[in-house]
Amino acid sequence: MAEELIDKVKQLIIDALRIEGMTPADIETDAPLFGEGLGLDSIDALQLVVAMEKEYGVVVPDAATGTKVFRSVRSMADYIAEHRK
Amino acid sequence: MNCFMFPGQPLSHGTEWPDDPDFKAIADMTRRRAFFDLETFSWVGAVGTDNVKLQLFGTAMSLYRFRVLRRERPLPDFVAEHSMGIYPALAACGSLPEEAALEMTFRVGTCLARMGERCSYALGCVVGLPREPLLAIAENHGVYMANYNTSRHFLLSGERSAMEAAMAEALATGAFSARTFPCDTPLHTPLIGEIDGELRGIFNHYRYGEPRTRLMDHINQDYLGAADVAPFLREELQRPVFWEKSYRALRAAGVTSFVEVGMGDSLKKYNRWIDGELRS
Repeated sequence: MAEELIDKVKQLIIDALRIEGMTPADIETDAPLFGEGLGLDSIDALQLVVAMEKEYGVVVPDAATGTKVFRSVRSMADYIAEHRK
Repeated sequence: MNCFMFPGQPLSHGTEWPDDPDFKAIADMTRRRAFFDLETFSWVGAVGTDNVKLQLFGTAMSLYRFRVLRRERPLPDFVAEHSMGIYPALAACGSLPEEAALEMTFRVGTCLARMGERCSYALGCVVGLPREPLLAIAENHGVYMANYNTSRHFLLSGERSAMEAAMAEALATGAFSARTFPCDTPLHTPLIGEIDGELRGIFNHYRYGEPRTRLMDHINQDYLGAADVAPFLREELQRPVFWEKSYRALRAAGVTSFVEVGMGDSLKKYNRWIDGELRS
């Protein structure tokens, strides 16, 4: 996985969720995005779905896929790399 | 212009408490007027449900945050509220004393909880579906739309087994997330009409001052005057919350800065979503 894409995904999270005072370096690549990690919730997840589609043309079709995709920054980047147009 | 937004009941509570005189004052009021100890999260000489505890926690923390904000900045130009956020919002507008807001939360919560002794209710939180298919799902299962938060974030309310079936259908229809939360009562539905007499008694017990800040209601996006408050408090428990309409109305009124005064940041997140749609 290119580190460049990992960094872009981190920046996408920061921009889409309007997280103030955070840089990509502050987000751990393998930390959980929900719960104890970044503390995201389903409202945030839908915002990320929209951002991923807009930025990479990647669709997260259902809740089950979303659960896998949004485990971590790395899983998001893996999914984008595999599905982007 | 700016707006302080007061959220409704939180879904969970914290375990770390502020160590300052304002929190101690609010915690003391909560014990005296609502028989609830925030720090141990337990009742003091009263018995109530977990939902009433969370309702009191929500009101208390909004009152506390408002005190802190008031030390840092002047009164806001507008106040907005979501669901039970109306009680601390009234205190923030000077329409009701803080102690009365806490007592009202306890009395209303306890009254609502009695409905749960006769039937099992739940809320259903659906993310990702638009309004129309969700309205059809609600109708199919005999549950109600309780919150219109954004074009893709809704809360349903109704009988628990019907809600579980509705959430399963929402997921099958393509919802990104559909979760059921047990609750004492079918909040924001006409079913609350069953206890309207008791609620009228509670709300008529208080004297409401004229809000010193423009206070927007979440049903019609009107500004509440003192005479409107008691009828609104009854009506809002029986009607849906229209948050998206409220946010858009506040934007149209010239508000550019929003501060969430309470636990969590759900209103801020709804606003972020609505802003995205306004831009596109």
